[in-house]
Amino acid sequence: MEKPLDELVRLQGVGMVYQSSRDGERVEALAGIDFSVRRGEFLTVVGPSGCGKSTLLSLIAGFAAPTSGSVLFEGRPVDGPDPARGVMFQEYALFPWRTVAGNVEFGPFARGVDAATRRARAQTLIDLVGLKGFERRYPHELSGGMRQRCALARMLANEPTLWLMDEPLAAVDLQTRIILQDELLRLWGDARAGAQRPTVMFVTHGIDEAVLLADRILVLGRRPGRIKEVLEVDLPRPRAALRGSAEVARLTAHLWELIRDEAAQAIAEETQ
Amino acid sequence: MSRAGARFGAVALPLSGVAAVVVVWEVASRLAANATLVPPPLTVWRAFAAMQGSDLPADIGASLLHLAIGYGLGVGAGLALALVAASSRALEAIVDPFVEFLRPISPIAWIPLAILLFGVGRAVPVFLIFYASMFPIFVATLDGIRRVDARLIHAARSLGASRRLVVTRVVLPAALPSVIAGARLSLGVAWMSLVAGEIVGGDAGIGWRILWYQEFFQMDRVMAAILIVGVLGLGADLLLRALQHLARRWNPAAAESAA
Repeated sequence: MEKPLDELVRLQGVGMVYQSSRDGERVEALAGIDFSVRRGEFLTVVGPSGCGKSTLLSLIAGFAAPTSGSVLFEGRPVDGPDPARGVMFQEYALFPWRTVAGNVEFGPFARGVDAATRRARAQTLIDLVGLKGFERRYPHELSGGMRQRCALARMLANEPTLWLMDEPLAAVDLQTRIILQDELLRLWGDARAGAQRPTVMFVTHGIDEAVLLADRILVLGRRPGRIKEVLEVDLPRPRAALRGSAEVARLTAHLWELIRDEAAQAIAEETQ
Repeated sequence: MSRAGARFGAVALPLSGVAAVVVVWEVASRLAANATLVPPPLTVWRAFAAMQGSDLPADIGASLLHLAIGYGLGVGAGLALALVAASSRALEAIVDPFVEFLRPISPIAWIPLAILLFGVGRAVPVFLIFYASMFPIFVATLDGIRRVDARLIHAARSLGASRRLVVTRVVLPAALPSVIAGARLSLGVAWMSLVAGEIVGGDAGIGWRILWYQEFFQMDRVMAAILIVGVLGLGADLLLRALQHLARRWNPAAAESAA
């Protein structure tokens, strides 16, 4: 039995149906999702394309309302976005007309934090994510990895309780990806034993990444998107040391077993 | 081509084009056409020089005033209507049919009515300019707002931005390049309507002066005035183009893709 305090997000019978904009067809993106996100855990979400991973995240972010069931955050129904639920998007979604500093400051600015405080906080975060010296640059002047660091700093500037991350590392090259994984873990508090860590919900296509980062893995199936399995990752932290280890490889293989058939099916349908 | 060569070409090519047209015009009007009806460039140039001491500055001033009032009101109304239409589907459903119906009607079609309503004078060209400049900026702004990346709005909302802040800090900056592109299109049609309005229903301005010179059969001055209209229109467009460049300084590359 979980204590109520341990659950930060609760999904009760969540279903999502929408009309496809292409052919007006009814698409059942999610069905019957019952799940709780535990406070302080690093949860990764995997599944084949079209399993509703991103939809699930946007429901918790409050960008959309479920067509059935309910989404609770800290015991209260989610209605609309909130700075306590920070979001990092697949393709960065930085404001292109704002500099790095301007992007990172946006959250505190929107919430009415005074200029001196938000500037200081932005600078701290910019240093923390390794963008020192790039404060005055515009997003288009940055590499993919730097843009993603900027997006991370922008999300962190509001000190959100929950980090909702939608394939944040999908658009960067493999080496950058490994470095950013390590940095993400560091910022989250991977190395601090028993620390009060933020809660992370991290959607990814990378099954190795899903294993390496996670305390738990939520495996979704498709048509409709539903929970297939929840895997506990009982590996010690810090995790960076486990990269390439036999345990990670074994879990990755197991995870692949779970989603292989449906992933192949998804590809077959897409290429039709 | 080298950098210096490219820059030379950017100036030299248009200039040589102009020179060629002037030469052909000069020769054609002397050999083929009636030089009184279609005066050659040299005659036009002399007429232009002679006009300096005349009412030319006052004419240009009157036209620019027509433009400033009509264009200012038209662009303001077009922008406001676009913001209203963008704020809700229901309001768009109300506003859009009117715009789509009125937009294809040439401003010139309204001249007889405008003359009856306002009488011959400033109000006719001002009204025409207002009417003409409203639509391009409306269409471009609404389109620009519609194409704002939804993720940017989501990002702002999840960072704590109020709806008002989303409009002023996300939607408007993202749509700004489209707004300025629309303002340029509006300026083009405004300038054309200005001449039409002044000729048919005005009592001052460079367009009105074209008709005046025609009545005195001063075709060289007619041509000079037409060329002045062209040069002023070009100047106004260059101003807006500079503004457009400024608005996109955060990413010149994204200007066309509107990313």
